[in-house]
Amino acid sequence: MSAIAAIFYREGKLRFTNLGWMFWDLFYPLGYLLVFSVGINYALGSPFQTLDLDYNAFFLAGVLGMASFGIASNTAWGFFFDRDNGIFYEMLIYPLSRAQFLAGKVLFNLLLAVAQAAIAVSLAAALLRVPIRWDLWPVLVVGVVGGTAGWFFFFAIFALKIRRNDVFNTVMSVFYFLLLFASSMFYPLEPLPVWFRTAALSNPITWQVDWLRFSTIGLGDMTQVMLEGLAFALFSLLAFAYAVRCLQQQE
Amino acid sequence: MTDTALEVENLVKIYRPRRGAPVRALDGMSFAVRRGHIFGLLGPNGAGKTTLLKILTTLLRPTDGRARVMGFDVVAAPLEVRRRVSVVLQESAVEMFLTVRDNLLSFARFHGLRGRPAHERAAAVLARFQLEPEADRKVMDLSGGFRRRVQVAKMFMVDTSVMFLDEFSSGMDPLLKRAVMGYLREEAARGRTIVLTTLVLSEAEELCDDILIINRGRQVARGDLYALKLLSQNLYEVLMTFETLPAGLEAQVAALAPLRLSVHENTLELTLKADEAQVLDLVSALARQGRLLKVEVSGPTLEDIFVELMEAGAAAPRKE
Repeated sequence: MSAIAAIFYREGKLRFTNLGWMFWDLFYPLGYLLVFSVGINYALGSPFQTLDLDYNAFFLAGVLGMASFGIASNTAWGFFFDRDNGIFYEMLIYPLSRAQFLAGKVLFNLLLAVAQAAIAVSLAAALLRVPIRWDLWPVLVVGVVGGTAGWFFFFAIFALKIRRNDVFNTVMSVFYFLLLFASSMFYPLEPLPVWFRTAALSNPITWQVDWLRFSTIGLGDMTQVMLEGLAFALFSLLAFAYAVRCLQQQE
Repeated sequence: MTDTALEVENLVKIYRPRRGAPVRALDGMSFAVRRGHIFGLLGPNGAGKTTLLKILTTLLRPTDGRARVMGFDVVAAPLEVRRRVSVVLQESAVEMFLTVRDNLLSFARFHGLRGRPAHERAAAVLARFQLEPEADRKVMDLSGGFRRRVQVAKMFMVDTSVMFLDEFSSGMDPLLKRAVMGYLREEAARGRTIVLTTLVLSEAEELCDDILIINRGRQVARGDLYALKLLSQNLYEVLMTFETLPAGLEAQVAALAPLRLSVHENTLELTLKADEAQVLDLVSALARQGRLLKVEVSGPTLEDIFVELMEAGAAAPRKE
């Protein structure tokens, strides 16, 4: 446990060296909601004809998912920074297992993700009148923590396999484009063509965002959300196992 | 409790690049190092030093053979090994965004030292490495030499049984280097085992009480400095300083085909392989040619032995 605490301390120290960065991490989902979501809401209105929900309420889960995705990819990018500083290989000789190394690296960022979600959800309720299901907050925390960790483990595989920063950035751009847009993040899937819907339903971002949507505004079928949650947990475990293996192969 | 800090048995490491033939970086290496010794691992570039160090510090898995650190197998119990070692890698390894003090504290925390004891230890290490004025500056704002200093200083924050130092003195100023060599001797006297790889052979000569010279992944020579010098019994270093260098002296000496010859202003330095009597005759003959201010005849340095061993092995074919 002390090994994980040590890496948590180190990540925290690094983050606190730049308060601007910290502020951005905490408030950018809210900013996205206030700029993009409010714009869409006014211009296009609600995506739902029958439900009493506006786009702000619908998109809240989307920005939380996007924030998880962003924190995870930034944390994975940290491997490049550590490699450039040479500290990466030294850390592999510190008294901690490869699994502890990965878990510790994401731990501080999970706290950040929870704080970020708390700010975004509270201010969405206060400023945009989003009808939050406060009774489901533990489910929301599970979605934020599990989602951020799962995406970090997934991106860590690429950060550890790819040696060039620019190649990693390109791969991340492709993931951003494909995973975020081919999902339920920005729009409901029901009106979409079958091929698109099928692609979106097999996308882990959809699984996470559906979970977050259910836990923020109670929208969605509970059985489907539970199944998607299980699928995301499996995806995270597989990603974790493979990322540990990649870390063991670092030479 | 065993008296052995490192045990290596028939260690083999073969790199298999995607393209090209496999490279046998370690080829059946075997040795043991006793606790509290300063062990020098020497060899030319590409000899396998860093590969060996990476295996001993659990960064790399061997292809075959066994290696144990303080009794723990590097493959079967890597975490136990990591608890007992601290390492200065050849490459710079510091937290650029953290202050010097936080670099020390963060490193100590990984080894279970925190709170007041860690702060007290950090204060002592900062003083020892003359880093107090820089303690609260971010490492990214320091020069390369200072970064190296921070990297080496971290090793003194913890009391691991074994310290590995890969080219620890690169970029370090001579005064600090001398001080650090003193600290390393103190640590060894306290029972810590120190494994040193260096290309600066005078450092190894001064520090190490046990030396292993390797080349092409194999052991070339092993022993303390005295034992290694016995390998080159007929090798002599001669230094002669004249008031004015006699004309034609350089050509005269060059005709004797010394292993090394250098002439700088009025000083002649040469290394030659010959019987003791022959060397003294030569010195006597040269001394008669001009007014001599200084003369020194000494046995071989570690560098002489190293060069001789490498040249002897240069003709051997490389196994792949």
